[in-house]
Amino acid sequence: MITIPINILLVDDEKDFVEMLSLRLTENKESVFSASNGKECLEIIEKNSIDVIILDLKMPGMDGIQTLKEIKARSPLIEVIMLTGHGTAETAVDGMKLGAFDYLLKPCDFDILMQKLDAARKRKEDQEERIRQAEAKLLLRRSGVI
Amino acid sequence: MEDSKLLIVDDEENFRNAIVRRLKKRGQAVIEADCAESALSIMANDSIDVVVSDIKMPGMDGLRFLKQIKSRYPACEVILITGHASATDGVSGIKEGAFDYLTKPIALDHLINKINHAREKINRKIAEEKDAIFKESIRQKMIATERLASLGTLSAGVAHEINNPLAIINEACGWMKTILASDKMKDIPRKNDLDKALSKIENSIVRVRNITHHLLQFSRKPDNIISDVNINQLINETIQFLNKEMTSKNIQILVKNKTNAIVIGSDPAQIRQVLLNVMTNAIHASYPDETIEICISNQNKGVYLDIKDKGEGIPPENLDKVFEPFFTTKAPGEGTGLGLFVIKGIIENLKGKISLTSQLGQGSQCSIFFPCLYQKE
Repeated sequence: MITIPINILLVDDEKDFVEMLSLRLTENKESVFSASNGKECLEIIEKNSIDVIILDLKMPGMDGIQTLKEIKARSPLIEVIMLTGHGTAETAVDGMKLGAFDYLLKPCDFDILMQKLDAARKRKEDQEERIRQAEAKLLLRRSGVI
Repeated sequence: MEDSKLLIVDDEENFRNAIVRRLKKRGQAVIEADCAESALSIMANDSIDVVVSDIKMPGMDGLRFLKQIKSRYPACEVILITGHASATDGVSGIKEGAFDYLTKPIALDHLINKINHAREKINRKIAEEKDAIFKESIRQKMIATERLASLGTLSAGVAHEINNPLAIINEACGWMKTILASDKMKDIPRKNDLDKALSKIENSIVRVRNITHHLLQFSRKPDNIISDVNINQLINETIQFLNKEMTSKNIQILVKNKTNAIVIGSDPAQIRQVLLNVMTNAIHASYPDETIEICISNQNKGVYLDIKDKGEGIPPENLDKVFEPFFTTKAPGEGTGLGLFVIKGIIENLKGKISLTSQLGQGSQCSIFFPCLYQKE
């Protein structure tokens, strides 16, 4: 069975964590980009096609929630899974109200992370598929077929 | 100290009788003794707050008697009486701790004045001691509260600092496991040992993670977990829980239900804590063999509870203070004064209201409103 890798962007100021998790995800045949702050994250999504962002909530400079707002303003279809090392589940829930897909507490169980990544990618693909169909209908209507 | 008595000690019977008679006329409770030795045996049995003693007495004299009193009953005040020519004895008496001295012949008003002053001093000392005990108990509570708060901050900090490196260990370990599981690594030597070591690391990470996540929970204010709350059922559970307290005072709880089983959306665990506290208060306030009434009614998309006891009630000046932290009328150590303060916090967190009305001698009524916290679709 051929699985298409998920394009994941990992955003965390803890560089060792980013390195280890990206190596692990890559070993699991996913395609991983990484950023150590919100600004880098926004630059990467401009230039690359990203499906899911794993975003740390506590970062110096632009924090997780701010970064999330920027991501959703620029590329609303990218799904975001938030990571929190703190007991700040409230912040994570606020994040979900702002459009994040889900959140996980650090350190997270890898199987659960993979499930959430798959679910997030599926939601993005479903949404993109609906958009394609809507566009196709629109084209057909314009060309007078229907 | 209201029933404490005055003790007059003098070997001269006439003088003693005259003074005692006149003091009694002025409404003083007086006991008399003809020597220091019998005075001390009276003091061993009776509650004496002020001693008026002659200095010159056969056997134990007034100054030695004073020393005995001060070592056995430090709270007792002593007024010495000296002969007209021996004021120096009086002065040395004061040095030994006497309240004052009077010189014979004695003006009764003067003596009564001195006795009153001595009693004022005693009362002042008692008030100061009470105040010191009260302040100390407050200080202890503050320390406990601060300790709890800083424990929360500390554990949250520690948990956070541990979680980040733990996450790195977790991903590094997971990465190695993935590598070892790949086809290329199938035949490497001692693969089983490596797998074993990695799964030990993995299990330990789970253990540490459970600890840090618990610490974080402890330091957080509780999240409201909103679900169906059956108020009647919760009240019945609470009554069962308080059964022992109720039977020991022979108190009945009468639940008046104006509607049938009321279900609202709120946090059952927090409501249970409120009910337990408020109903315990009602039981403590009630006189034995009385009935506590609980009225439940369903209004404004929520539930109103009125808990009525027939206890002694709360004086109006205290009614405003009952929700303040550390306010209690119980003896130090018996109540923290935090019960209603915490309860009010919980109720406000659940968007509810609590109020208290009371009439002295007739009882108190605690009214609580819990709204339904389900969002209407």
